[in-house]
This record gives sequence, C-alpha cells and structure tokens, in this order.
Amino acid sequence: MNGRVGRRLLQIVPTLCLITVAVFLLLRLLPGDPISAMLGNRGTPEAIARLRAQMGLDGGVLWQFWSFARRLLLHGDLGDSIVRRVAVTQLVAERLPVTLYLTAFAALLSVLLAVPLAFVAAIWRDRLPDLLVRGVFQIGLSAPVFYIGLLMLGFLAARGHLFPVGGMGVGVVDTIWHLFLPALTLALSLSAILMRNLRSAIIAVLRAEYVDFARAKGLSPRLIMGRHVLKNALLSTVPLFGLNIGTLLGGAIITEYVFAVPGVGALMVDSIYGRDYPVVQGLTLALAVLVCLTFLATDLIETWLDPRAA
Amino acid sequence: MSMWSKMGLATAACLLAGTALAAGPRGGTMVYARHADSLFLDPVLNDANVDIWVLTNLYDTLIIPSNDGKSLTPGLATKWQASDDGKTFTLTLRPGTKFSDGSPITAEDVVWSLDRARDPKKGIWNFLLVSVDKVEAKDAATVVLTLKNADPSLPAALATFNSAIMPKKLFEASPGATDDEKAKAFAEHPVGSGPFVLSSWQRGGVMKLVRNPNYWADGDDGKKLPYLDGVDFPIIPDDSTRILKLQSGEVDGAEFIPYARVKELQADPKIDMKLFPSTAIQYLTVNDRPNLADGSNNPLSNEMVRQALNYAINKKALIQIVTHGIGTPMRSFMSSTTPMFVDLGEAYPYNPTKAKDLLKQAGFEKGLSISSLALAGSADDVNIVSALQQMWGQIGVKLTIEQVDNATRDARYHKPDFQMRTGDWTNDINDPNEITSYFSYYPNIENQHSGWDNKESDALYEKSQSEADPVKRAAEYKTIQENYMKAAPIFFLYEVPFPVALSKKVDGFYQTPLGNNIFVRATVAK
Repeated sequence: MNGRVGRRLLQIVPTLCLITVAVFLLLRLLPGDPISAMLGNRGTPEAIARLRAQMGLDGGVLWQFWSFARRLLLHGDLGDSIVRRVAVTQLVAERLPVTLYLTAFAALLSVLLAVPLAFVAAIWRDRLPDLLVRGVFQIGLSAPVFYIGLLMLGFLAARGHLFPVGGMGVGVVDTIWHLFLPALTLALSLSAILMRNLRSAIIAVLRAEYVDFARAKGLSPRLIMGRHVLKNALLSTVPLFGLNIGTLLGGAIITEYVFAVPGVGALMVDSIYGRDYPVVQGLTLALAVLVCLTFLATDLIETWLDPRAA
Repeated sequence: MSMWSKMGLATAACLLAGTALAAGPRGGTMVYARHADSLFLDPVLNDANVDIWVLTNLYDTLIIPSNDGKSLTPGLATKWQASDDGKTFTLTLRPGTKFSDGSPITAEDVVWSLDRARDPKKGIWNFLLVSVDKVEAKDAATVVLTLKNADPSLPAALATFNSAIMPKKLFEASPGATDDEKAKAFAEHPVGSGPFVLSSWQRGGVMKLVRNPNYWADGDDGKKLPYLDGVDFPIIPDDSTRILKLQSGEVDGAEFIPYARVKELQADPKIDMKLFPSTAIQYLTVNDRPNLADGSNNPLSNEMVRQALNYAINKKALIQIVTHGIGTPMRSFMSSTTPMFVDLGEAYPYNPTKAKDLLKQAGFEKGLSISSLALAGSADDVNIVSALQQMWGQIGVKLTIEQVDNATRDARYHKPDFQMRTGDWTNDINDPNEITSYFSYYPNIENQHSGWDNKESDALYEKSQSEADPVKRAAEYKTIQENYMKAAPIFFLYEVPFPVALSKKVDGFYQTPLGNNIFVRATVAK
C-alpha cells in the first residue's frame, strides 16, 4: 500500500512540471504584458520600459523561465506579484484556504444531499418521490451557478435575513454560516451528477443476486443497504466524485465572485486579465497539486472499496 | 406658562441640542463596500485608482483640496507662499503634528517625502513635481522648494496623494535593500499622517482602518477628527451583491453603482443615492496617423472625417442608452469640473446632414469602413460601440467591433496598433495640466497615442506650465481647448458623475471629483 502511494506521488511530479511549463508559455503567448496593462492610459514609454526592467520582464522568455524555475526549485519561492507587490506564496497562503474550505464544504453538502436522495429515488423508482428528486436536481444541473447564487442571495439573505449577503465570517461557526449559501450553490450541480449516478448504481445493485441472497439469509434491510448496496453502488460514484472536484474548483471561481468570498477565484481572474504572470503561475501550480492529490485520494478510496482495483 | 408654550420651549431646546450635535454621532465603524481591493498602499509607487482613491485617508498631504476641488485648504502646512519671481516656494509646517505611531512629523520627513515623490526613477507620478529643483528645510517649521521655473500647479501638486508625508526613519528602517523592497514591507503596515491607520488587511476580503489618535484636525464638536472609530472596506466585486448588501443593512455604503440601478435606488427610502461630481469622461481614442499599423490608409487622419463622425454621434441618445440619462455631453476634452475648463458648447452637436456633407467634402460620399477595439465583458463598452455602429451606419460608415481584454487593448494602444478604442479618464490632480499633457501635448504620449499634433498647443502647454499669471494661463488653456475641439482628435462622448449609494444613516462622506473617498468627516447614526 505504502509503495503504491509513493509510486503515485512520484507520478504526480512530471504532471506538475508539464503544467508549470505549459502555463508559463501560454501566459506569455497572450497579447499584452503586466506593465502596459497596469499603466494603461498613463503609461509613458519611459515608465513602461523602466518598470519592465525593474520587474525582470525585459529578458527573453527562456531567461525568465530559468530565473522562475531556479527560484522555485532552490528556494520554494514563486516570486512576487507584479501588480500587488507581495510574495505569491503569501497570496496563495492567504486565499487558497478559503477556496479549499468552500470547496470541501460544497463537496460535503453534495454528498449529504446526493446519497440519501439517491436511495429515495432508487427505492421508489419511477414513482412520485423519484420524479420529484430527479426533477428538482435537473434544475440544479441546468441552471447557471451565477443565477442560482443571485436568487439565493436575493431571497434567503437580503429579504429572508436567514443568511448574510455574502462575505466571509470570523471563527468556525460564523464561517459556516457565511459559506452555507455559496457552498450550497456550488454543491447543487455536483450533487445532481452524483445523485443520478448513484441512483442507477443502487438500482443495478438491488437486482444483483448477492442482495437477493442477503435478503434470503434474513439480514436486516439496514445492513443490506449500508454494507452491501451502498458500498458496491459507490464504486462507480467515487471516481466520478474525484473527477468532479476539479470542476468544483472551477465553479468556486464564479461562486466566490457572486458571494464576495475572498478565495483564489477573483484573484485568478484579475491576475489573468492583468497578466500578473507570477500569480497565475503560482495559483495554477497550487491548484494542480490539489487536483492531483484528490485523484490520489480517490484512487485509495476505490482500492479500499474494491481491493481488486489495486 | 401654558402647556403649549412649555412644549414649544421643550421643542426649541431639542432643536438647539440638535444643532449642537450637527456634527453627528461620534464613534462607530462605517462599512463601505468596494468593487475591488487596493493593490499597493505606497503614495509614490502605486499606479491604480483602487489605491489612489483611498490613500489620503492613510497619508496626509501638506495642502488639502476642498470638496469640489476648486480651492485649497491647509493640511500639514498652515501657509504656503511663492516668491515674486515664482521660483521659490515656502511652506510653513503646522506645529505639533504627529504620525499615527506618535512620533513627530519633522521638516526632515517633509523634505524626504517630497524628494522621494519627485524622483524620476520612482513611480509614474513624479512628473507632477517636475518643476522642483531642490527641497530644503530652512528651520524646524519651514520647508523651501527651489524651482527650475515658476509652477502655477505646484500648490495643487502638493495637495495630491503622491506628495503625502511619510515617516522617513520608519520607512528606512523597513526590511529590504532597495527603496522598492522597503516600500513593499512598509506598505504592509503603513504608518502615516492621515485621519486613519490600516489595522488589518485580508487581501480580496476586507481592509480595516481605525482612527489615527494623533490626527491634527478638529471636528465641529471641538474634539479631534475623525468622527468615526474606523472604516471597513469589504470587497464585493459583483454589482448586484454589493447593492443587496446595502439594502439588507450589512454595509453603510457601496461604490460603483451601475447606471441602470440608479433610478431604482433613488426611489428607495432607506438609501441616499449620491451622484458626486467627477472629472470622469468617456470618449473614443482615435489613431489619427495617415497609415495604420498594417500600412493601410487611415481615413481618420482626415480632420473632416473625424468632424463628420463626431457630428453623427447622437450623444443625448447615447447617454440614455449607456448611462440611463445620468451623463452629460462633453463640452471640451477636459471635464467641466477641471480647473480652467472652457465651455465651448456641446462638442459637435448631433447633425447627420452636416456629417454627410463633411464626408462628401472629404471624398467619402460612398461611405467608409473603420474598426474599434472595445473591452470584452464590459456592458458599457459594448453598448457604446453598438450604438455608434447604428448611428454611423446612417451616414454610410461601417464600424467593425473587435472585443478584446484590457491587457490586449492596452498593448495594442501603446504600440500603436489600433484605429479606434474606447477610453475613459479621471484626473488625479486639481489642475488641467495632467489631462492636457496626455491629450494635447505630443511629446508626452503622442496625445493618447493618436499621433495628432498641434505645435501651437504644444508650445502653449509648455508656456502655461510656468505661467505665474492665472489670467494668462487661462487664456493659454482656452486656445489649447479650442484647437483640440476643432481638430477633433478623439470622438467626444460624455462626462459622468460617481454613483455611490449610502445608507440614510451616513453623513459627511464625500468622493472628490478626482475620485478620492474622504471619510475624515463621515458619521454613521446609530
């Protein structure tokens, strides 16, 4: 098992290298550069040239990559934001935990929503509860995150005063309260995907012979559902969940904007528009590490669920 | 005394008490929702409005502009005087002022701050102090600026954010080898001379300011300013969320209200919808060179064609479409709030017949094709260029729209590789010299990278920069503005105020025509 984890961790390294190089080059292929975007209307040719030199942007792309890679490998330093003049590691450390919190909260909510409702839908297949659950989730799946977010803000927060209108809390309880609506908004589409998948899986498992056998043996329905049905039905849902964590992180960017959550979303968008190369590079690397680790965790859970998968 | 007269007296007493408290309640925190966070809180090295517009709350200047930007009031200096030849400028410092950490503000701090602000190697604002040759402390309370030439804009420049006074010793004690590194460290925990101090900053989340207990100015109640204990700036990028937050009472004010929402908020009984006069203008920058970047002929190099296209813009309709009636047509290249603005009447009032005639005279009676860059994702930009497409279509001009992001637009603008682009501008100093140097003084940035040049205007601008006589200077600016209007190097659109929505509990807050948000006299009723 440990050897397997070690091997998989090693496999992540070339992936990360590839992503780093690709992002570095792609960013520089975009038209424009940070200094000209920063100075805009007020950029005199003299000021643009002086700031470019100061920020180390006057050298060639290869030279820039060399100094970036050397700093990263020797000092673990991602450089300084050109626009914000702070260390990228500091920006990532300040803002990534917020996005992680939101994404984890949303992942948890989507599981809490999907699992029981999948059972309801599977057990009462094609009857009213099933149609209701599937109908409501269809809306969650098809409505844009942006719109659902604004609706929730308008009705539950601004008018209903049940939740704050966006922002970030202080302390654990306050943060949960602040992040509930954004996490729910974000969770809706993922829980719809998970629910549909799990429902079909449960229906398939319920037809399996070993379930009939368990019933014949007189096992309690709770034991059958919990140990035999759920565990086997999850086999196809867990990888789906893992694969969708990346999508969830992407959705977090829009959700953060609507709900004014100070995560990496707005920072990423601003930094791309502003061509703040070091920030985009640092954030991409951090997010890539996260996604790779999620895939690894998904693999490990799969192995636990079904040792044959190893 | 009858019951009625007693009640009358009681009412009068209440009213009197009310007047005495006219300064409003002291204390409390004002929560002001901003659309974007600050980037770098250094008065000299910053380059963005998100910094400039809050900086003076942290760093005080020697001279302070009045609310309308039309006059100057004493700040850290109580008096300022130019010599008869205009080449020496003497400032008398206010006695007993302190930085937020309690250390005294000395003449040495003033000299160092001004020397840093005018250093041509630092930041992009040093041009505002270009006339200064030497800054010296004559004694503990007097600072003398020796100038290369008389400079009529110097008092206004000393009232601008980049001339703010910073603590020399603390700045130099900040970690780092270079000024740039020290500035980064210092700006994380700035110690300043303004009415507020930065207490915490969660980037992209919330910036918190608390009152500077050592601020020098007195309020109307005789106690020290500011009235507020603090100001919080939560960052709420989405316009709808920012407004919802105000309506739910979670914030006391919200900036950058979209024009489309202004009428609705004006009708909201709990909201005070402000439209602060501003120097903001919206226009189109035009490449006026004979050839475009790809070598093709550029019909817009013809003054008559530009005049024709200007006449074909129905500015009143455009103002309705884009700003929901909030803007007003431009009347010069500078906003009507800029000092020395000359009212030349509405720029090229809508006249499609005249437009067609001019096109015919210029040899384009069969029409022409042009293209414009617009900011992708900006509703205002898309509305403007789509409306122009319609309006110009009526005189046979075909407009192609190319939507690009900001960095691409700026890169192509600087190159210059564009025929036309959307543009907006806000002054940073209460003087006409900044906007004029960028719009009508070729040596700076070739007049908005347009390539248009008027030698008379260039010479007049240079003359006006050292013109001590305000009447003569105004006359020079009049000719510059007339020349510009006639040549029409840009497409004139409109001026807009700053739309800010406040809770009715807020009083005393204002945004200056330059955009600076001023909280020193703000109060929030409990």
